[in-house]
Amino acid sequence: MKLLDKPLKAYTTYAMLVLLASIPVYFLMVDWIWFHEVNEHNLIVTESTKQNLKSLQLSNAQLDQATKLWSQLTPETRLREVEKLAADSTYTLYRKNTYIPNKGFDRYHGLVSYFELNGRFYSITVETNVEESYETIFGITAITVVFFVILLIGFIKLNKHISGRLWKPFYQTLEKMRSFDLSNHKNITFEPSDIIEFEEMNAEINKLIIGNVSAYNQQKEFTENASHELQTPLAIVQSKLDLLLQDPSLTNGQSTIIEETNNALSRISRINKNLLLLAKIDNQQFMDKETFSVLPILNDLVKTLSVFAADKLIHLTAMSDSEIEGNKMLVDIMLTNLLMNAIRHTGYDAEIVVLLDGDQLSISNKGDTKLNTDRLFQRFGSISKHTPGSGLGLSIVREICERYGWTISYDYLHNLHTFKVVFLDSKFIPI
Amino acid sequence: MKILIIEDEAELANSIVSYLSGQSYLCELAENYFKALEKISAYHYDCILLDIMLPGGSGLKLLAELKFQNKQDGVIIISAKNSLEDKIGGLELGADDYLAKPFHLPELAARVYSVIRRRNFANSNTIQQKEIEIDLLAKSVTVHHKPMVLTKTEFDMLLFFIGNKNRIVSKSALAEHLSGDLADMLDNHDFIYAHIKNLKKKLAEANAGNYLKTRYGNGYKWEI
Repeated sequence: MKLLDKPLKAYTTYAMLVLLASIPVYFLMVDWIWFHEVNEHNLIVTESTKQNLKSLQLSNAQLDQATKLWSQLTPETRLREVEKLAADSTYTLYRKNTYIPNKGFDRYHGLVSYFELNGRFYSITVETNVEESYETIFGITAITVVFFVILLIGFIKLNKHISGRLWKPFYQTLEKMRSFDLSNHKNITFEPSDIIEFEEMNAEINKLIIGNVSAYNQQKEFTENASHELQTPLAIVQSKLDLLLQDPSLTNGQSTIIEETNNALSRISRINKNLLLLAKIDNQQFMDKETFSVLPILNDLVKTLSVFAADKLIHLTAMSDSEIEGNKMLVDIMLTNLLMNAIRHTGYDAEIVVLLDGDQLSISNKGDTKLNTDRLFQRFGSISKHTPGSGLGLSIVREICERYGWTISYDYLHNLHTFKVVFLDSKFIPI
Repeated sequence: MKILIIEDEAELANSIVSYLSGQSYLCELAENYFKALEKISAYHYDCILLDIMLPGGSGLKLLAELKFQNKQDGVIIISAKNSLEDKIGGLELGADDYLAKPFHLPELAARVYSVIRRRNFANSNTIQQKEIEIDLLAKSVTVHHKPMVLTKTEFDMLLFFIGNKNRIVSKSALAEHLSGDLADMLDNHDFIYAHIKNLKKKLAEANAGNYLKTRYGNGYKWEI
């Protein structure tokens, strides 16, 4: 649930409760007013009739005649002679209208009043049609619903308008943080807000980011510096070994030890060189770009590598060439690493198939078991006793692919390892 | 042949001196910027080995100074930085070569040899090793005045040995020289054997002396 919807829901529920509670209150109020007014009306009619009758000063015979006529003209307002006087009383009843019966049942409120005229007692009954209670309830409910809907629409619109504006800095900050990438060296600046809480939040986030960026930079610098610092002692060891080999008193066994040390040393140098390369890629070096074709590079590479992997067959097939944009040196390193990876893991006399089809390049070689895909592209993820590589070749490949938004994937099918590169910027979104 | 080694790491500098001295080069040392500046201003060297990060100043500044003084000394940059900018910058400033640390001494010697040859024998592009004559420009070899056909790898190897004559070159140094950065990635350097065998065979067939010797199983020596 979005932040802005939460208060909206609460407001709406509250408004609904209030409006629901208002229905019976309105009804009781309206009904009470009705009764009050009708009672008053009945009383006025009764009193005026009484007084008018009295003021006529009719004889008994005339009075009987008048009563009779009255009863025929307005049977609802009954005037009749009674035994004795009583207190006024009211009543309510539902009945059908005598004159318009298809109107259904109507509610009537009546007043029975007594008076004395010429020594005789009379009662007068006045009835008035009152609005039926279910009609009142229906009317009030309908209006309440209409108002509720109006309120709801208003709430939503106002909420969107006011809250949207109110929370705008928050969403801007959120968007900025979402697009923030520690490795791309772009600092983010938050737009100033006149709301204290947002300003404080932005300031705190800024502090966090600055801390992170500096820790990240320090770490990267450390890798680069450490690798640099290692180069000189490595060079010293290397030179001493080369000198030692010149010693005429050397035995065959000692010479073998030197050669073995040489091999281990070149492995250290290789790891160090690759770490340095990774650090440089991380540090946004090799930024210059150019557009070039992949095929000529592949051709050269296959030719060069064939010299050193004479016992393996490298087949290069190109369906169509691909023009790519990137740093040529990095692409060269990437392709070399991929091919060398295949060569190193291919047995004697086995085949390596390189297939270039437009933007897709795949390199396949035979293998008995699937590689561990989780750790394959991680630094030192694929190192093992059997593969004395630097353990960094594939992570360099991934790093280079990531820089240009290319996709690198690994598949194992029918005893075939296949590494596939798609030279299409997956980060590029066409407009 | 005089060589100036500008390097602040004494151990490395000593190794270089020790290796190159055996190659009949006369080596001098400068361990900081100012000593180096003094020496390059006062004397002429056939080749200068220049470290970039020096106490007192950058090696690139020395390079600029050499150019400013219009000196013709050959320069090989030896740097721990191995950055493309330094490499391009150095070569643009007139350096002849760039070698990243760590390196094999035979590799350095081969490069020194090549720089000196290019500088001093601009007109004659041939190397004479007894009955073997190598034309550097045409990349062709004759033995007893008869042409000997070599592959590119074999030709590179021959030059490498001549640049390190009477020195034992290890298999890894040779492998690294031939395959460049790729040597790092090769599981073993056995591909060397085949090339050595072929070169030896071709030299023998051409009736050249047996100068290329195998030492201790893993090392090679051009004895002349």
